Amino acid sequence: MSNLDDSGPAADGDDLLAAEYVLGVLPAEERRAAAARLERDASFARLAERWEAHLAPLAESWQLVEPPEWAKAAIDRRLFQAGPGPAPVAAASGIWQSLALWRGLAGAALAALALMVALPWPERPVPAQRSQLVASLAASGSEVRYLAVYDAASDEVALRHVSGERAPGSDFELWMIEGSNAPVSMGVIPSGTAVRLPVAPAAKAKLDSGDVLAVSVEPAGGSPSGQPTGPVVAAGDLQGI
Amino acid sequence: MRDRQAFDLLYRHTSAKLFGVCLRVLNDRGEAEEALQEVFVKIWTKADRFVVSELSPISWLVAIARNQSIDRLRTRRRPAAGLDAAIDVPDPAPGPEARVMASGESGRISQCLDELEKDRAAAVRGAYLEGMSYAELAARHQVPMNTMRTWLRRSLLKLRDCLER
Repeated sequence: MSNLDDSGPAADGDDLLAAEYVLGVLPAEERRAAAARLERDASFARLAERWEAHLAPLAESWQLVEPPEWAKAAIDRRLFQAGPGPAPVAAASGIWQSLALWRGLAGAALAALALMVALPWPERPVPAQRSQLVASLAASGSEVRYLAVYDAASDEVALRHVSGERAPGSDFELWMIEGSNAPVSMGVIPSGTAVRLPVAPAAKAKLDSGDVLAVSVEPAGGSPSGQPTGPVVAAGDLQGI
Repeated sequence: MRDRQAFDLLYRHTSAKLFGVCLRVLNDRGEAEEALQEVFVKIWTKADRFVVSELSPISWLVAIARNQSIDRLRTRRRPAAGLDAAIDVPDPAPGPEARVMASGESGRISQCLDELEKDRAAAVRGAYLEGMSYAELAARHQVPMNTMRTWLRRSLLKLRDCLER
C-alpha cells in the first residue's frame, strides 16, 4: 500500500519522498525526518543522490557572488582553532560512523575534492606523484559498495566494505582494468569491513589514476578461468589524491 | 597536500558559487553569510562522504549548500506576513534563470520539464531554484496545499520516467 492514491508500487513512496527532500518542498518536521533517514538508510540516500544528480543542471545558471573577505576568516576560526585535521565536529551516526573511523579517509577525500574542483573540468587531477589513489566502487542495480584506497608506499589496496553481502558459496573478486585491456585479477576480497589485498609488482607498475577497479561475483575461491565469470557488481575509477 | 591547503584551495574555487546558491535560496545577505559558514564546516566534516558519492564534485558541493540553505529557510521564524512578503519580494537577481530557460538549460532535466504542463514545470523550478515550500507553492499557484502536493508528486513521477527513459 502506498500513501499516494496514484503512486503505483509502494517503492515509489520512498523515491518521491527522496525527490521532495531534494527539491526542498517538505515542511520543517518532515524535512528533519527525511534528513535523519538519509543518515541511516543507505538505499534511501542513494535515491536522494539520484535526484540530486538529475536536478543539478538547473543550478548551473546560478550567478557567482563573491562572499565578503571576513567569511573565510570566520570559517577558519570555526574549523582550525579546535584542532587539526578534518575530524567530525558532530558525532557521526549509522552507516557513516565506520567510514569516519577509517583514518585518513576524510583528509584524502578533502584533497581529492579540492583538486577536482581546482582543475578545469572535465580534466581529472593527475598529480606528479601518484602515491595514493582512491576509488568508490558501485554499480546501478547492485547493493554492493566498496571504497578502495591504494597506497603505493604500502603495496596494498585497502578496501572498505560499505554495503551488499556475498551469497553463500560465492566470493567477490577484485579486478584492475586498464583502458581496453583484459581485466587483471587482484585476488579474492576477504570478507570483513576493512580488508587489505597485497598488490603484485606487475600490477603495481600499472596501477594508475584512470584505471578501473571492479568487483565480480565468482565461485568460492575465485574465478577458475583467470577472467571474470560472474556479474560485475561494483566498479569505479581510481582517482589520484 | 595538507588538509588546510586543500581546504583553502577548495574555498578559493567554490566559495563564489556556493555563496551564490545560499543567496539565491535565502534571499538575504546576512543569512546567506551565516549559511556559507555552515556549508564549509559541513564540507570539512563530511568530505569522506564525497568518496562514496556518484555526484560530480561541484554538484555534491552545491547540494550541500542548497540543503543547508533550505534547512535555514524551513526553520526560519517568519512574521505572519512573511509568506506573502516572500512571494512579492522582487527577485534579487532577475534574469539568469529566465535567460537560461529560454536558451535551454543543459542536461536532460530541462527537456523533461518541457514535457510537463507549464504550471507544473514552474512549480518544480520554483522549488528547486527558489527554495519554495509546498505552502508557498500552493499560495503562488492558488491551490490547496494537498492539491499542490498531489500535483508535484505526479509531476515528479513523470519526470523520473522521462529522466530514466
